[in-house]
Amino acid sequence: MSDIVVAEGLTKTFGTLKAVDEVSFTVKRGEIFGFLGPNGAGKTTTINLLTTLMKPTSGRGMVAGFDVQREPQKVRERIGVLFQDLTLDRELTGWENLWIHGLIYGVPRGFLRSRIRELLAFVELEDWAGSQVKKYSGGMQRRLQIAAALLHRPEILFLDEPTLGLDPQTRAHIWDYILFLQRNEKVTVFLTTHYMDEAERLCHRTAIIDHGRIIALGSPEELKRALGSEVVYVQLASKSLQETERMAESLKGCREFSRVHVVRPGEISVSAARAPEAIPKIFEKAEGLTVKIREVTYHMPTLEDVFLHLTGRKLRDEEVSGMEAVRIRHRWR
Amino acid sequence: MVNPASAAYVMWYRQVKRFIRTRSRLVGAILQPIFWMVFLGLGFTSALKGAPVFGGIDYLTFFIPGVVMMAVFFTAFFSGISVIWDREFGFLKEILVAPASRTATIAGRILGDVTISMLQGVIVLTIAFLMVPNLRLLGVPLVLVAVFFTALQFTGLGIALASKLKSFEGFQLVNMLIAMPIFFLSGAFYPVNALPAPASLIAYLNPLVYGVDLSRTALTGIGFLPLTSALTVLIASSLFLLVVAVWGFKKATAE
Repeated sequence: MSDIVVAEGLTKTFGTLKAVDEVSFTVKRGEIFGFLGPNGAGKTTTINLLTTLMKPTSGRGMVAGFDVQREPQKVRERIGVLFQDLTLDRELTGWENLWIHGLIYGVPRGFLRSRIRELLAFVELEDWAGSQVKKYSGGMQRRLQIAAALLHRPEILFLDEPTLGLDPQTRAHIWDYILFLQRNEKVTVFLTTHYMDEAERLCHRTAIIDHGRIIALGSPEELKRALGSEVVYVQLASKSLQETERMAESLKGCREFSRVHVVRPGEISVSAARAPEAIPKIFEKAEGLTVKIREVTYHMPTLEDVFLHLTGRKLRDEEVSGMEAVRIRHRWR
Repeated sequence: MVNPASAAYVMWYRQVKRFIRTRSRLVGAILQPIFWMVFLGLGFTSALKGAPVFGGIDYLTFFIPGVVMMAVFFTAFFSGISVIWDREFGFLKEILVAPASRTATIAGRILGDVTISMLQGVIVLTIAFLMVPNLRLLGVPLVLVAVFFTALQFTGLGIALASKLKSFEGFQLVNMLIAMPIFFLSGAFYPVNALPAPASLIAYLNPLVYGVDLSRTALTGIGFLPLTSALTVLIASSLFLLVVAVWGFKKATAE
């Protein structure tokens, strides 16, 4: 069987709020599959449904060949979960936490000691095994949680925002662990993130999720290719909205450009199949309108651009609306 | 399949480790009963010299079995209710996605809480014998029985309540409305049979009354309930609360 996760019309409502809305997708055995979306998009709720913490309102979820609702026990034996917040006992040491974790996950006692040693070495925490978890840094706690999630050799690892709140170095380090696991241990990884660089770097396939719905699914390359082009940002010398719109109008008239957006007064984004060839055209148009250009930059589209294109909003740092605040609060209730 | 005995053992292990690890809890376990005995017990002993209500023994001797049971009550009740903290701090989630059976994990946890409550009881009992050497040594086994079932009662009650409370905002309320009345109406401070009728009836509904009376009978020979009926109610109520706790926990974590 090649699909380790199958979700069909998976839905979870809290009162009138649809946190996860008819979500369908499959995860192939051995791949790293990502859920990319802003806070409150329904990522954590999806993880809760697939890891049997919550029951779906409707729809069906199969993990490792078992129905999450009908045979949760069978599912739990086969999954490892890294929750967003620390789920280890702060008062106990790293070693004690792994010991507890191993036994409630049914790792045979004789084998557990060597497995703990092996994993402490993997996450480079051997020297900290005897220290209380509350003395660990955020990155160390995350690493210990990864070790815990791996103890019982799960077939699939669920990682909820694995690098949230970590510094860039630690993030890169955690990425290396994830890639190592997938390549060398053949563990399937399902992760959620709102960092587009994380999705681009790690995921073979990514679903973009917003307001509980999957709005796009594919490899990062496919998703970006769907935009069809490179993205050019034009900064005008003047911040006049009128002038910016006039410029945008005239760019819309050219066949070289698709999707002309006024980002803000004085800034326009346009998509072009081949930016270097299209840029002279921009200057030509500007000259004709006697508009002064301050700067032109272009880059390959990122998943951020894909998200912007699909939703009209930015992925990060967006204002959390009232509705989304409700979604976030509902995560664990 | 996860071995239920392993899962229960590991939850027991966690509760005991936590108790031993937290120095402040150990120090409190020893100091608090000493404060009760010295500041309250000795104070009332001289103030109430010759009062007829305590069955001819001095107040400290009357009070000390109650201090032992109070200590057991608080440790058991608050360990049980700390399931709320586990929910708040995430540890509970770890257990809920584990394949071990919920009955096994909660049973192990209850045993762990009972163990540390008994440890607490034994510490206070030792201090009690040092303060009042003429307590009956032969009564100790019966006190330990009372300690065990009282620990079970209140771990059970704590977990049952924690399963109902969704956050720790309710915790203060539980402390005020449940822990304090149980504590003051336990018969530890004064004989509850001396209360006027409605209040003494309420006292009989208090599960802590039976353990206190039993251990007082065992240590001083003075109790107002017949030994067998105190023991029967104690065991029956502790088993009842145990079932409620396991049921409540399983129900609260069903989703």
